[in-house]
Amino acid sequence: MTSDLGPGELQAILLARDFRAEDRVIQVGANLPAARAAAMMANLTTHPDARILLGVETENLAGGREVPPVHAFLFHALGHELGEAQMHQQAVFDDMSRPDVFFVGGLQVDRVGNVNLVGIPGEAGGWRLRGPGAVALATMSTYCRGYYILMPRHDPSTFVERVSSITALGDRARRAELQFPGGGPRLLLSPLGVFDFGEDGSMRVRTLHDGVSVEQVVEATGFELVIPDRVPRTMPPTAEELELLRSRVDRDGLLRAR
Amino acid sequence: MTSTGQPRGRLDSKLADALGEVPDGAVVGIGGTLTAGRPMALVRELLRRRPRDLTLVAPIGSLDVDLAIAAGSVQRVLTAYVGAEGVAAVAPTFRAAAERGDVEVVDLDEAHCVIGLRAAGQGLPFLPWLGGVGTDLPKINPRLVEFEDPITGRPLLAVPAIRLDLALIHSETADAYGNVQFAGTGHLDPLLASAADRVVVQAERIVPTDWIRRNPGATHYWREVCVTRAPWGTHPYASATIETDSEHLKVYTKAARSAVKGDGAELERYLEANVYGPANHEDYLEAVGIRRIAELVT
Repeated sequence: MTSDLGPGELQAILLARDFRAEDRVIQVGANLPAARAAAMMANLTTHPDARILLGVETENLAGGREVPPVHAFLFHALGHELGEAQMHQQAVFDDMSRPDVFFVGGLQVDRVGNVNLVGIPGEAGGWRLRGPGAVALATMSTYCRGYYILMPRHDPSTFVERVSSITALGDRARRAELQFPGGGPRLLLSPLGVFDFGEDGSMRVRTLHDGVSVEQVVEATGFELVIPDRVPRTMPPTAEELELLRSRVDRDGLLRAR
Repeated sequence: MTSTGQPRGRLDSKLADALGEVPDGAVVGIGGTLTAGRPMALVRELLRRRPRDLTLVAPIGSLDVDLAIAAGSVQRVLTAYVGAEGVAAVAPTFRAAAERGDVEVVDLDEAHCVIGLRAAGQGLPFLPWLGGVGTDLPKINPRLVEFEDPITGRPLLAVPAIRLDLALIHSETADAYGNVQFAGTGHLDPLLASAADRVVVQAERIVPTDWIRRNPGATHYWREVCVTRAPWGTHPYASATIETDSEHLKVYTKAARSAVKGDGAELERYLEANVYGPANHEDYLEAVGIRRIAELVT
Protein backbone atom coordinates (compact mmCIF):
# COMPACT_ATOMS: atom_id res chain seq x y z
CA MET A 1 0.00 0.00 0.00
CA THR A 2 1.18 3.53 -0.70
CA SER A 3 3.33 4.37 2.29
CA ASP A 4 2.35 8.03 2.51
CA LEU A 5 -1.36 7.22 2.47
CA GLY A 6 -3.23 9.16 5.15
CA PRO A 7 -5.79 7.19 7.23
CA GLY A 8 -8.46 9.63 6.10
CA GLU A 9 -7.55 8.97 2.48
CA LEU A 10 -7.97 5.20 2.83
CA GLN A 11 -11.26 5.71 4.66
CA ALA A 12 -12.60 7.98 1.90
CA ILE A 13 -11.65 5.49 -0.81
CA LEU A 14 -13.15 2.50 1.03
CA LEU A 15 -16.42 4.34 1.59
CA ALA A 16 -16.64 5.55 -2.00
CA ARG A 17 -16.24 1.94 -3.19
CA ASP A 18 -19.05 0.65 -1.01
CA PHE A 19 -21.95 2.94 -1.91
CA ARG A 20 -24.78 1.05 -3.56
CA ALA A 21 -26.36 1.66 -6.92
CA GLU A 22 -29.64 2.68 -5.27
CA ASP A 23 -28.04 5.35 -3.03
CA ARG A 24 -29.44 8.65 -4.23
CA VAL A 25 -28.99 10.97 -1.25
CA ILE A 26 -25.73 10.87 0.71
CA GLN A 27 -25.64 13.10 3.77
CA VAL A 28 -22.54 13.92 5.79
CA GLY A 29 -22.49 15.29 9.35
CA ALA A 30 -19.94 17.00 11.58
CA ASN A 31 -16.22 16.24 11.85
CA LEU A 32 -16.09 13.53 9.17
CA PRO A 33 -14.10 15.06 6.28
CA ALA A 34 -13.26 11.57 4.94
CA ALA A 35 -16.98 10.92 4.47
CA ARG A 36 -17.27 14.32 2.76
CA ALA A 37 -14.53 13.26 0.37
CA ALA A 38 -16.13 9.84 -0.20
CA ALA A 39 -19.46 11.41 -1.16
CA MET A 40 -17.68 13.73 -3.57
CA MET A 41 -15.64 10.89 -5.12
CA ALA A 42 -18.77 8.80 -5.68
CA ASN A 43 -20.59 11.77 -7.14
CA LEU A 44 -17.76 12.30 -9.65
CA THR A 45 -17.61 8.64 -10.69
CA THR A 46 -20.09 5.90 -9.77
CA HIS A 47 -22.97 8.11 -8.57
CA PRO A 48 -23.20 11.05 -11.00
CA ASP A 49 -26.91 11.43 -10.31
CA ALA A 50 -26.77 11.39 -6.50
CA ARG A 51 -27.43 14.37 -4.27
CA ILE A 52 -24.73 14.89 -1.69
CA LEU A 53 -25.42 17.03 1.34
CA LEU A 54 -22.28 18.81 2.48
CA GLY A 55 -22.79 21.45 5.12
CA VAL A 56 -25.43 23.92 4.12
CA GLU A 57 -25.54 22.98 0.46
CA THR A 58 -27.04 20.12 -1.50
CA GLU A 59 -24.58 19.38 -4.26
CA ASN A 60 -24.43 17.53 -7.47
CA LEU A 61 -20.91 17.71 -8.80
CA ALA A 62 -21.63 16.14 -12.17
CA GLY A 63 -22.74 19.45 -13.61
CA GLY A 64 -19.22 20.08 -14.85
CA ARG A 65 -18.46 23.02 -12.60
CA GLU A 66 -15.35 23.37 -10.51
CA VAL A 67 -15.31 20.94 -7.60
CA PRO A 68 -14.93 22.71 -4.23
CA PRO A 69 -12.12 21.33 -2.02
CA VAL A 70 -12.95 19.16 1.00
CA HIS A 71 -13.50 21.67 3.78
CA ALA A 72 -12.14 21.32 7.30
CA PHE A 73 -15.48 22.55 8.66
CA LEU A 74 -18.93 21.37 7.65
CA PHE A 75 -20.18 24.92 7.19
CA HIS A 76 -18.22 27.52 5.31
CA ALA A 77 -18.86 31.03 4.12
CA LEU A 78 -19.78 30.34 0.50
CA GLY A 79 -21.72 27.13 1.14
CA HIS A 80 -25.12 28.74 0.70
CA GLU A 81 -24.14 29.99 -2.75
CA LEU A 82 -22.89 26.63 -4.01
CA GLY A 83 -24.81 23.59 -5.05
CA GLU A 84 -28.26 23.22 -6.51
CA ALA A 85 -30.20 23.53 -3.27
CA GLN A 86 -29.68 24.60 0.31
CA MET A 87 -29.80 22.21 3.22
CA HIS A 88 -32.40 23.36 5.74
CA GLN A 89 -31.79 21.38 8.90
CA GLN A 90 -35.41 21.26 10.01
CA ALA A 91 -36.46 20.22 6.49
CA VAL A 92 -34.14 17.20 6.70
CA PHE A 93 -36.18 15.98 9.67
CA ASP A 94 -39.43 16.78 7.86
CA ASP A 95 -38.67 14.31 5.07
CA MET A 96 -36.95 11.35 6.66
CA SER A 97 -37.47 9.13 3.61
CA ARG A 98 -34.85 11.16 1.74
CA PRO A 99 -31.44 10.39 3.25
CA ASP A 100 -30.14 7.04 1.98
CA VAL A 101 -26.67 7.12 3.47
CA PHE A 102 -25.29 8.60 6.67
CA PHE A 103 -22.04 8.32 8.65
CA VAL A 104 -21.67 7.74 12.36
CA GLY A 105 -18.58 8.39 14.49
CA GLY A 106 -18.21 6.95 17.97
CA LEU A 107 -16.37 6.96 21.29
CA GLN A 108 -17.36 3.31 21.72
CA VAL A 109 -18.86 0.59 19.57
CA ASP A 110 -20.01 -2.86 20.66
CA ARG A 111 -20.36 -6.38 19.28
CA VAL A 112 -23.76 -5.75 17.71
CA GLY A 113 -22.91 -2.31 16.31
CA ASN A 114 -24.40 -0.01 18.94
CA VAL A 115 -22.49 3.27 18.99
CA ASN A 116 -21.91 5.70 21.85
CA LEU A 117 -20.97 9.29 21.04
CA VAL A 118 -22.42 11.06 24.09
CA GLY A 119 -20.07 9.73 26.75
CA ILE A 120 -19.41 7.19 29.44
CA PRO A 121 -21.71 7.91 32.40
CA GLY A 122 -20.17 8.01 35.87
CA GLU A 123 -21.13 5.68 38.71
CA ALA A 124 -22.97 8.36 40.67
CA GLY A 125 -24.46 10.28 37.76
CA GLY A 126 -22.53 12.75 35.62
CA TRP A 127 -19.79 11.64 33.26
CA ARG A 128 -16.65 9.57 33.54
CA LEU A 129 -15.81 10.54 29.95
CA ARG A 130 -17.80 13.20 28.20
CA GLY A 131 -18.12 13.04 24.40
CA PRO A 132 -19.34 15.67 21.95
CA GLY A 133 -23.04 14.74 22.08
CA ALA A 134 -25.65 12.85 20.08
CA VAL A 135 -25.50 15.20 17.05
CA ALA A 136 -28.22 13.63 14.84
CA LEU A 137 -27.08 10.02 15.31
CA ALA A 138 -30.21 8.68 17.02
CA THR A 139 -32.53 10.03 14.36
CA MET A 140 -30.46 9.45 11.22
CA SER A 141 -29.55 5.89 12.26
CA THR A 142 -33.24 5.11 12.82
CA TYR A 143 -34.33 6.19 9.36
CA CYS A 144 -31.58 6.15 6.74
CA ARG A 145 -31.26 3.16 4.42
CA GLY A 146 -27.80 2.40 5.62
CA TYR A 147 -24.98 3.98 7.58
CA TYR A 148 -21.26 3.59 8.01
CA ILE A 149 -19.58 3.54 11.42
CA LEU A 150 -16.22 5.34 11.40
CA MET A 151 -14.04 4.61 14.43
CA PRO A 152 -10.92 6.77 14.84
CA ARG A 153 -9.33 4.24 17.25
CA HIS A 154 -9.37 0.48 17.61
CA ASP A 155 -8.54 -0.75 21.11
CA PRO A 156 -10.29 -2.68 23.90
CA SER A 157 -11.62 0.52 25.49
CA THR A 158 -13.39 1.62 22.29
CA PHE A 159 -14.43 -1.83 20.94
CA VAL A 160 -16.40 -3.10 23.93
CA GLU A 161 -18.84 -5.94 24.63
CA ARG A 162 -21.57 -3.43 25.47
CA VAL A 163 -21.39 0.34 25.01
CA SER A 164 -21.90 2.39 28.19
CA SER A 165 -24.69 4.37 26.56
CA ILE A 166 -26.42 3.79 23.22
CA THR A 167 -26.61 6.82 20.94
CA ALA A 168 -27.22 4.91 17.67
CA LEU A 169 -28.97 1.56 17.96
CA GLY A 170 -27.18 -0.89 15.67
CA ASP A 171 -28.43 -4.11 17.25
CA ARG A 172 -30.26 -5.83 14.39
CA ALA A 173 -32.65 -7.84 16.58
CA ARG A 174 -33.68 -4.83 18.63
CA ARG A 175 -34.11 -2.69 15.50
CA ALA A 176 -36.43 -5.35 14.00
CA GLU A 177 -38.42 -5.51 17.23
CA LEU A 178 -38.91 -1.75 17.17
CA GLN A 179 -39.73 -1.87 13.42
CA PHE A 180 -37.23 0.81 12.50
CA PRO A 181 -37.60 2.01 8.91
CA GLY A 182 -33.83 2.23 8.29
CA GLY A 183 -31.45 -0.54 7.28
CA GLY A 184 -28.88 -0.20 10.07
CA PRO A 185 -25.09 -0.26 9.89
CA ARG A 186 -23.51 -1.43 6.63
CA LEU A 187 -19.81 -1.39 7.43
CA LEU A 188 -17.50 -0.31 10.19
CA LEU A 189 -14.12 1.18 9.30
CA SER A 190 -11.32 1.27 11.86
CA PRO A 191 -7.59 1.97 11.54
CA LEU A 192 -7.08 -1.83 11.46
CA GLY A 193 -9.65 -2.98 8.94
CA VAL A 194 -13.15 -3.21 7.56
CA PHE A 195 -15.91 -4.97 9.50
CA ASP A 196 -19.54 -5.87 8.93
CA PHE A 197 -22.32 -7.55 10.86
CA GLY A 198 -23.02 -11.21 10.12
CA GLU A 199 -26.20 -13.28 10.05
CA ASP A 200 -26.69 -13.10 13.81
CA GLY A 201 -25.82 -9.38 13.88
CA SER A 202 -22.35 -9.85 15.42
CA MET A 203 -19.37 -7.86 14.20
CA ARG A 204 -17.20 -9.78 11.80
CA VAL A 205 -13.90 -9.14 10.09
CA ARG A 206 -14.33 -8.41 6.42
CA THR A 207 -10.81 -7.33 5.48
CA LEU A 208 -7.71 -6.31 7.39
CA HIS A 209 -5.51 -3.42 6.29
CA ASP A 210 -2.00 -3.90 5.03
CA GLY A 211 0.34 -5.04 7.82
CA VAL A 212 -2.43 -5.88 10.32
CA SER A 213 -2.56 -9.45 11.66
CA VAL A 214 -5.55 -11.39 12.95
CA GLU A 215 -3.85 -11.64 16.37
CA GLN A 216 -3.46 -7.88 16.45
CA VAL A 217 -7.12 -7.18 15.75
CA VAL A 218 -8.25 -9.83 18.26
CA GLU A 219 -6.07 -8.21 20.90
CA ALA A 220 -7.40 -4.74 20.09
CA THR A 221 -11.04 -5.81 20.36
CA GLY A 222 -12.82 -6.11 23.72
CA PHE A 223 -15.19 -8.86 22.55
CA GLU A 224 -15.14 -11.93 20.37
CA LEU A 225 -15.08 -10.99 16.72
CA VAL A 226 -16.42 -13.34 14.07
CA ILE A 227 -13.34 -14.24 12.02
CA PRO A 228 -13.71 -16.07 8.72
CA ASP A 229 -11.38 -18.97 7.93
CA ARG A 230 -9.57 -16.89 5.37
CA VAL A 231 -9.26 -13.18 6.13
CA PRO A 232 -8.73 -11.12 2.98
CA ARG A 233 -6.53 -8.03 2.79
CA THR A 234 -8.15 -4.66 2.23
CA MET A 235 -7.68 -3.87 -1.44
CA PRO A 236 -5.21 -0.97 -1.58
CA PRO A 237 -6.21 2.23 -3.34
CA THR A 238 -5.77 2.09 -7.09
CA ALA A 239 -3.80 4.75 -8.91
CA GLU A 240 -7.07 6.06 -10.34
CA GLU A 241 -8.71 6.34 -6.93
CA LEU A 242 -5.75 8.19 -5.45
CA GLU A 243 -5.51 10.47 -8.46
CA LEU A 244 -9.21 11.37 -8.20
CA LEU A 245 -8.99 11.94 -4.45
CA ARG A 246 -5.82 14.00 -4.48
CA SER A 247 -6.13 16.00 -7.64
CA ARG A 248 -9.86 16.74 -7.74
CA VAL A 249 -11.47 16.17 -4.35
CA ASP A 250 -8.92 16.78 -1.59
CA ARG A 251 -6.73 19.29 -3.39
CA ASP A 252 -5.65 20.92 -0.13
CA GLY A 253 -4.41 17.61 1.29
CA LEU A 254 -6.68 17.77 4.35
CA LEU A 255 -7.01 13.97 4.57
CA ARG A 256 -3.32 13.30 4.01
CA ALA A 257 -2.48 15.25 7.13
CA ARG A 258 -5.06 13.62 9.36
CA MET B 1 -56.71 59.22 13.33
CA THR B 2 -53.70 58.95 15.66
CA SER B 3 -51.74 55.71 15.64
CA THR B 4 -51.71 53.90 18.98
CA GLY B 5 -50.06 50.66 17.84
CA GLN B 6 -46.75 49.30 19.05
CA PRO B 7 -43.81 49.34 16.65
CA ARG B 8 -43.31 46.01 14.87
CA GLY B 9 -39.63 45.98 15.65
CA ARG B 10 -36.84 48.06 17.12
CA LEU B 11 -33.42 49.15 15.94
CA ASP B 12 -30.79 49.98 18.54
CA SER B 13 -27.62 51.73 17.49
CA LYS B 14 -25.87 50.29 20.55
CA LEU B 15 -25.59 46.51 20.66
CA ALA B 16 -25.73 46.57 24.47
CA ASP B 17 -29.12 48.33 24.33
CA ALA B 18 -30.44 45.78 21.85
CA LEU B 19 -29.39 42.94 24.13
CA GLY B 20 -31.21 44.64 26.99
CA GLU B 21 -31.37 43.20 30.47
CA VAL B 22 -30.63 39.51 30.82
CA PRO B 23 -31.28 38.29 34.35
CA ASP B 24 -29.16 35.60 36.03
CA GLY B 25 -30.68 32.21 35.40
CA ALA B 26 -32.17 33.19 32.03
CA VAL B 27 -32.72 30.59 29.31
CA VAL B 28 -30.76 31.85 26.32
CA GLY B 29 -30.78 30.32 22.85
CA ILE B 30 -27.67 30.79 20.73
CA GLY B 31 -28.12 30.61 16.96
CA GLY B 32 -25.86 29.15 14.29
CA THR B 33 -24.61 25.62 13.66
CA LEU B 34 -21.14 24.26 14.36
CA THR B 35 -18.60 26.93 13.41
CA ALA B 36 -21.02 29.09 11.42
CA GLY B 37 -23.58 31.79 12.09
CA ARG B 38 -22.79 32.23 15.77
CA PRO B 39 -23.95 35.62 17.17
CA MET B 40 -20.63 36.31 18.88
CA ALA B 41 -20.92 40.09 19.28
CA LEU B 42 -24.03 39.46 21.40
CA VAL B 43 -22.49 36.48 23.20
CA ARG B 44 -19.40 38.52 24.15
CA GLU B 45 -21.59 41.45 25.29
CA LEU B 46 -23.59 39.06 27.44
CA LEU B 47 -20.49 37.46 29.00
CA ARG B 48 -18.91 40.88 29.62
CA ARG B 49 -21.70 41.47 32.15
CA ARG B 50 -20.63 38.31 34.02
CA PRO B 51 -24.10 36.76 34.28
CA ARG B 52 -24.62 33.68 36.47
CA ASP B 53 -26.49 30.39 36.14
CA LEU B 54 -27.59 30.76 32.53
CA THR B 55 -29.26 27.88 30.74
CA LEU B 56 -27.85 27.83 27.21
CA VAL B 57 -29.76 26.23 24.36
CA ALA B 58 -27.34 25.56 21.51
CA PRO B 59 -28.64 22.76 19.24
CA ILE B 60 -25.31 22.26 17.50
CA GLY B 61 -23.01 24.43 19.60
CA SER B 62 -19.38 25.32 19.29
CA LEU B 63 -16.67 26.92 21.43
CA ASP B 64 -19.00 29.84 22.20
CA VAL B 65 -20.74 27.52 24.66
CA ASP B 66 -17.31 26.50 25.95
CA LEU B 67 -16.35 30.16 26.39
CA ALA B 68 -19.52 30.88 28.37
CA ILE B 69 -18.77 27.92 30.65
CA ALA B 70 -15.15 29.07 31.02
CA ALA B 71 -16.46 32.52 31.99
CA GLY B 72 -18.43 30.90 34.84
CA SER B 73 -21.83 31.95 33.49
CA VAL B 74 -23.47 28.62 32.77
CA GLN B 75 -25.46 26.22 34.91
CA ARG B 76 -27.05 24.05 32.23
CA VAL B 77 -26.66 23.35 28.49
CA LEU B 78 -29.32 21.83 26.23
CA THR B 79 -27.48 20.54 23.20
CA ALA B 80 -26.78 17.85 20.63
CA TYR B 81 -23.12 18.83 20.14
CA VAL B 82 -20.49 21.10 21.65
CA GLY B 83 -17.21 21.19 19.76
CA ALA B 84 -15.33 22.57 16.78
CA GLU B 85 -14.84 19.50 14.56
CA GLY B 86 -11.15 19.02 13.70
CA VAL B 87 -9.98 21.83 16.03
CA ALA B 88 -11.70 20.36 19.10
CA ALA B 89 -13.73 17.18 18.60
CA VAL B 90 -15.18 17.81 22.07
CA ALA B 91 -15.09 21.31 23.56
CA PRO B 92 -12.51 21.15 26.40
CA THR B 93 -14.14 23.24 29.14
CA PHE B 94 -17.53 21.71 28.38
CA ARG B 95 -16.07 18.22 28.70
CA ALA B 96 -14.31 18.97 31.98
CA ALA B 97 -17.31 20.81 33.48
CA ALA B 98 -19.62 17.93 32.54
CA GLU B 99 -17.21 15.39 34.02
CA ARG B 100 -16.83 17.41 37.24
CA GLY B 101 -20.58 17.95 37.43
CA ASP B 102 -20.18 21.75 37.36
CA VAL B 103 -22.55 22.02 34.42
CA GLU B 104 -25.69 19.98 33.77
CA VAL B 105 -25.87 18.70 30.21
CA VAL B 106 -29.32 18.01 28.83
CA ASP B 107 -28.55 15.66 25.95
CA LEU B 108 -30.74 15.77 22.87
CA ASP B 109 -30.54 14.53 19.32
CA GLU B 110 -30.47 17.38 16.81
CA ALA B 111 -33.99 16.43 15.72
CA HIS B 112 -35.12 16.61 19.36
CA CYS B 113 -33.85 20.19 19.43
CA VAL B 114 -35.83 20.93 16.28
CA ILE B 115 -39.13 19.51 17.49
CA GLY B 116 -38.66 20.76 21.08
CA LEU B 117 -38.26 24.30 19.75
CA ARG B 118 -41.19 23.73 17.40
CA ALA B 119 -43.35 22.56 20.32
CA ALA B 120 -42.48 25.76 22.18
CA GLY B 121 -43.40 27.87 19.16
CA GLN B 122 -46.65 25.95 18.81
CA GLY B 123 -47.50 26.31 22.48
CA LEU B 124 -47.50 22.55 22.98
CA PRO B 125 -46.08 20.69 25.99
CA PHE B 126 -44.26 18.21 23.75
CA LEU B 127 -44.07 16.71 20.28
CA PRO B 128 -43.53 13.02 19.50
CA TRP B 129 -40.46 11.60 17.76
CA LEU B 130 -39.22 8.13 16.82
CA GLY B 131 -35.48 8.81 16.66
CA GLY B 132 -34.02 8.03 20.06
CA VAL B 133 -36.38 5.12 20.84
CA GLY B 134 -34.18 2.12 21.64
CA THR B 135 -31.26 4.35 22.64
CA ASP B 136 -30.10 5.38 26.11
CA LEU B 137 -30.87 9.08 25.52
CA PRO B 138 -34.01 8.92 27.76
CA LYS B 139 -31.82 7.38 30.47
CA ILE B 140 -29.26 10.19 30.41
CA ASN B 141 -31.92 12.85 29.79
CA PRO B 142 -35.05 11.88 31.78
CA ARG B 143 -36.93 14.83 30.24
CA LEU B 144 -37.34 12.59 27.19
CA VAL B 145 -40.25 10.33 28.05
CA GLU B 146 -41.09 7.15 26.19
CA PHE B 147 -44.84 6.64 25.68
CA GLU B 148 -47.12 4.36 23.73
CA ASP B 149 -48.38 5.87 20.49
CA PRO B 150 -52.20 5.78 20.79
CA ILE B 151 -52.53 5.08 17.04
CA THR B 152 -50.12 2.17 16.52
CA GLY B 153 -49.39 1.12 20.09
CA ARG B 154 -45.66 1.34 19.39
CA PRO B 155 -43.16 3.29 21.53
CA LEU B 156 -42.37 6.93 20.79
CA LEU B 157 -40.48 9.65 22.63
CA ALA B 158 -42.22 12.73 23.99
CA VAL B 159 -39.76 15.59 23.45
CA PRO B 160 -40.68 18.45 25.80
CA ALA B 161 -41.02 22.01 24.53
CA ILE B 162 -37.83 24.08 24.75
CA ARG B 163 -38.99 27.55 25.77
CA LEU B 164 -36.47 30.38 25.70
CA ASP B 165 -36.42 33.71 27.46
CA LEU B 166 -34.15 35.10 24.80
CA ALA B 167 -32.80 34.06 21.39
CA LEU B 168 -29.52 35.54 20.10
CA ILE B 169 -29.19 35.46 16.35
CA HIS B 170 -26.86 36.61 13.59
CA SER B 171 -28.24 37.58 10.19
CA GLU B 172 -26.81 39.11 7.06
CA THR B 173 -29.44 41.84 6.77
CA ALA B 174 -32.23 43.39 8.79
CA ASP B 175 -34.20 46.63 8.78
CA ALA B 176 -35.36 48.98 11.52
CA TYR B 177 -38.71 47.16 11.74
CA GLY B 178 -37.30 43.76 12.61
CA ASN B 179 -37.51 42.27 9.14
CA VAL B 180 -34.64 39.80 9.04
CA GLN B 181 -33.07 38.12 6.00
CA PHE B 182 -30.42 35.41 6.20
CA ALA B 183 -27.92 34.51 3.51
CA GLY B 184 -28.73 30.86 2.98
CA THR B 185 -30.80 28.77 5.30
CA GLY B 186 -30.19 30.62 8.53
CA HIS B 187 -29.51 27.28 10.26
CA LEU B 188 -32.13 26.64 12.98
CA ASP B 189 -32.31 30.33 13.85
CA PRO B 190 -35.89 31.01 12.67
CA LEU B 191 -37.09 28.09 14.78
CA LEU B 192 -34.97 29.11 17.77
CA ALA B 193 -36.45 32.60 17.59
CA SER B 194 -40.01 31.26 17.42
CA ALA B 195 -39.43 29.53 20.77
CA ALA B 196 -38.26 32.73 22.51
CA ASP B 197 -40.09 35.48 24.39
CA ARG B 198 -37.62 37.99 22.99
CA VAL B 199 -35.35 37.90 19.93
CA VAL B 200 -32.19 39.95 19.47
CA VAL B 201 -30.64 39.99 16.03
CA GLN B 202 -27.16 41.24 15.21
CA ALA B 203 -26.99 41.97 11.48
CA GLU B 204 -24.02 42.42 9.18
CA ARG B 205 -25.89 45.38 7.72
CA ILE B 206 -29.00 47.36 8.47
CA VAL B 207 -30.82 48.12 5.24
CA PRO B 208 -33.78 50.29 4.26
CA THR B 209 -37.10 48.48 4.09
CA ASP B 210 -37.16 49.04 0.33
CA TRP B 211 -34.15 46.71 0.13
CA ILE B 212 -36.06 44.08 2.16
CA ARG B 213 -39.03 44.48 -0.19
CA ARG B 214 -36.93 43.37 -3.15
CA ASN B 215 -37.05 39.80 -1.80
CA PRO B 216 -39.93 39.46 0.68
CA GLY B 217 -39.84 35.66 0.39
CA ALA B 218 -36.57 35.68 2.34
CA THR B 219 -37.92 37.70 5.29
CA HIS B 220 -38.34 36.27 8.78
CA TYR B 221 -40.00 38.15 11.63
CA TRP B 222 -41.05 37.56 15.22
CA ARG B 223 -43.21 39.40 17.69
CA GLU B 224 -40.61 40.88 20.04
CA VAL B 225 -37.49 41.64 18.07
CA CYS B 226 -34.60 44.09 18.43
CA VAL B 227 -32.00 44.45 15.73
CA THR B 228 -28.56 45.98 15.90
CA ARG B 229 -25.57 46.22 13.58
CA ALA B 230 -22.53 43.97 14.03
CA PRO B 231 -20.33 43.67 10.93
CA TRP B 232 -18.22 40.49 11.00
CA GLY B 233 -20.10 39.81 14.22
CA THR B 234 -19.65 36.03 14.01
CA HIS B 235 -15.85 36.18 14.35
CA PRO B 236 -14.11 33.76 15.03
CA TYR B 237 -16.88 31.78 13.32
CA ALA B 238 -18.01 31.86 9.69
CA SER B 239 -20.89 33.80 8.20
CA ALA B 240 -21.68 34.60 4.58
CA THR B 241 -18.93 37.24 4.68
CA ILE B 242 -16.04 35.63 6.57
CA GLU B 243 -14.58 32.15 6.91
CA THR B 244 -14.02 30.44 10.26
CA ASP B 245 -10.87 31.77 11.95
CA SER B 246 -9.43 28.37 12.75
CA GLU B 247 -6.17 29.87 14.06
CA HIS B 248 -8.13 31.88 16.62
CA LEU B 249 -10.11 28.78 17.61
CA LYS B 250 -6.85 26.86 18.05
CA VAL B 251 -5.52 29.57 20.37
CA TYR B 252 -8.71 29.38 22.44
CA THR B 253 -8.69 25.57 22.48
CA LYS B 254 -5.07 25.46 23.65
CA ALA B 255 -5.82 27.97 26.44
CA ALA B 256 -8.95 26.07 27.51
CA ARG B 257 -7.08 22.73 27.57
CA SER B 258 -4.33 24.24 29.75
CA ALA B 259 -6.98 25.58 32.13
CA VAL B 260 -8.56 22.15 32.38
CA LYS B 261 -5.14 20.78 33.36
CA GLY B 262 -4.87 23.39 36.11
CA ASP B 263 -3.05 26.27 34.43
CA GLY B 264 -5.64 28.95 33.82
CA ALA B 265 -3.27 31.81 32.96
CA GLU B 266 -3.60 31.52 29.19
CA LEU B 267 -7.40 31.29 29.39
CA GLU B 268 -7.49 34.35 31.66
CA ARG B 269 -5.45 36.23 29.06
CA TYR B 270 -7.80 35.06 26.32
CA LEU B 271 -10.89 36.18 28.24
CA GLU B 272 -9.32 39.54 29.06
CA ALA B 273 -8.21 40.18 25.48
CA ASN B 274 -11.40 39.01 23.78
CA VAL B 275 -14.31 39.30 26.20
CA TYR B 276 -13.72 41.57 29.21
CA GLY B 277 -11.09 43.93 27.78
CA PRO B 278 -12.87 45.28 24.69
CA ALA B 279 -15.68 47.63 25.76
CA ASN B 280 -17.79 46.78 22.71
CA HIS B 281 -17.82 44.98 19.35
CA GLU B 282 -15.88 47.77 17.61
CA ASP B 283 -13.07 47.49 20.18
CA TYR B 284 -13.08 43.71 19.69
CA LEU B 285 -12.71 44.08 15.92
CA GLU B 286 -9.87 46.52 16.46
CA ALA B 287 -8.13 43.99 18.69
CA VAL B 288 -8.57 41.24 16.07
CA GLY B 289 -7.17 43.64 13.49
CA ILE B 290 -8.17 44.57 9.98
CA ARG B 291 -5.38 42.44 8.51
CA ARG B 292 -6.82 39.26 10.04
CA ILE B 293 -10.39 40.15 9.09
CA ALA B 294 -9.27 40.86 5.52
CA GLU B 295 -7.72 37.38 5.33
CA LEU B 296 -11.03 35.84 6.36
CA VAL B 297 -13.32 37.86 4.09
CA THR B 298 -14.64 35.77 1.20
